[in-house]
Amino acid sequence: MENVLIVENLTIAFGQLLAVNSLSIEVREGEILGIIGPNGSGKTTLLNGISGLYKPKSGSVIFKDIDITDFSPSRRCRLGIGRTYQVPRTFEKMTVYENVLVGGVYGASLSEKKARYKVYEILELTGLLHKKDLFAGSLALLDRKRLEVARALATNPQLLLLDEVAAGLTEAEVNEVLRIVKYIKESGVTIIWIEHILRTMMEAADRVLCIASGKKLICGNPKEVLAAEEVQEVYLGVEEG
Amino acid sequence: MGKECVTIVINDIRNYKWFIITGLIAVLLTIPFWASNYTVSIFLLIFMYLALAQMWNLLAGYAGLVSLGQQMFIGLGGYTLAVLTELYRAPLWSSILIGGVISLIFALIISAPIFRMREAYFTIGTWLVAEALKIFFSNWGYVRYGQGFFITAAYQLTTTHMYYMAMVIGLGSVAVVYIILRSRLGLGLMAIRDNETAAESMGVEVFKAKLICFLIGAFVTSIAGSIFYLYQVFIQPYAAFGIDWTVAMVFIVIIGGIGTIEGPLAGVVIYVLLRQYLYNYAGISMLVLGLIAIVLIHVAPKGFIGTLQEKLGFEFLSPRRR
Repeated sequence: MENVLIVENLTIAFGQLLAVNSLSIEVREGEILGIIGPNGSGKTTLLNGISGLYKPKSGSVIFKDIDITDFSPSRRCRLGIGRTYQVPRTFEKMTVYENVLVGGVYGASLSEKKARYKVYEILELTGLLHKKDLFAGSLALLDRKRLEVARALATNPQLLLLDEVAAGLTEAEVNEVLRIVKYIKESGVTIIWIEHILRTMMEAADRVLCIASGKKLICGNPKEVLAAEEVQEVYLGVEEG
Repeated sequence: MGKECVTIVINDIRNYKWFIITGLIAVLLTIPFWASNYTVSIFLLIFMYLALAQMWNLLAGYAGLVSLGQQMFIGLGGYTLAVLTELYRAPLWSSILIGGVISLIFALIISAPIFRMREAYFTIGTWLVAEALKIFFSNWGYVRYGQGFFITAAYQLTTTHMYYMAMVIGLGSVAVVYIILRSRLGLGLMAIRDNETAAESMGVEVFKAKLICFLIGAFVTSIAGSIFYLYQVFIQPYAAFGIDWTVAMVFIVIIGGIGTIEGPLAGVVIYVLLRQYLYNYAGISMLVLGLIAIVLIHVAPKGFIGTLQEKLGFEFLSPRRR
């Protein structure tokens, strides 16, 4: 399989703190790469480095053989990298429909007319169709997370970055998220998924990457990674202690 | 129950939106024929401030550009009109238009350095540019230093002429903002208003959207400024490039409801009427306006229209998509 995304020796610093420390990953076309790691280990920062929100101190990000290290977030989105935010950043004073429409019109560069069909399709998939005229600011957490995913999908991504879309949801809601993510994967989208809920990683991820203190700890088959001693120690140890 | 009734009534109103708007415009068109000169001049002021406020709302309420330097475009517009008509006897209309173009070019030039500044720095930066222009104009012999100009070309116009000019720029500014918000650019602007970071990662070209708004704002503000000075006949740098202009825009937009098209409409009526009334108390008029703004920000931080919309979900000139 071809690599959709190659991150090479990426370092992102906040002052003296190296939030991501010379990290390299390769993401294969069509896979779900799960990312786990304790709080503050640099997962979201890595995602921000890929989506362009943070400029790296060194290293490079290559998407479909194009070096996008210096590209703005909006250009990366139009190239095919969609993302969601851990804490939903929906457009509060816009309706659900309009939120998704932004992705279709800007991210996927469609006319409003053409985007309309796509938006309805995505609203249907994410179970938001009957709420399309509500203001995003009035939605409950699950719907906001759905909207995050719907919005990102509307940008027509080839690579989708999911940041804890299942966190804070009930068991049944997590299943709903799993269903949606699997469907997105089947439609040919490559996914990087950060999640603390290990069940989702076991069920959906093709490979799991564990990072700690901004460095790669281990990467491989979900079962092996979750069972690995260093993961147990660093991840679960810190999490419980 | 009461609230539901109001909502139903209001939705009925919305169905007749274009009918109501056409009717209102028709009434406004006839005002010079039956109203007193005083009333006409009040409406004239309302229209001019409406254009200014609507543009400031476009910048601050949608594009996230809180500028305190919009007076630079008023000054540039007013001075272009004065210089071209007084020194070169140029025709009125083209002088006003050239003023708009000069403001637009000036906005484009300063956008390069000023857009590198963010938030509060942008605000201070725009103000500084306006202040610098004020000092420059008051030390520039070509524009007669601080002495100013009488715009004698204005004598050929009646109040009725000016009323219609002000009406075109006032209502035109509302139409411009409405059309922008219904367009692709408007969708992006509303996203920027709600969350700039998220908008950027959805593919919205934030810089470009902001720049376009800044340029449109410069042009329209400049034209409105020219018309104002045509009405006032006399221009000098301290007032033309004074921050009072932007203070008025901020007041109107904040009390009316920032980030809504209807907000400045409500705000401008309140502002102009209050100001007329407070003329009799010149010393304290600013104090009273300030007090009203402070109280309103505490009681209804989203302004009259913003609060109304939140309570009733009503938007008259709705940019909504379905």
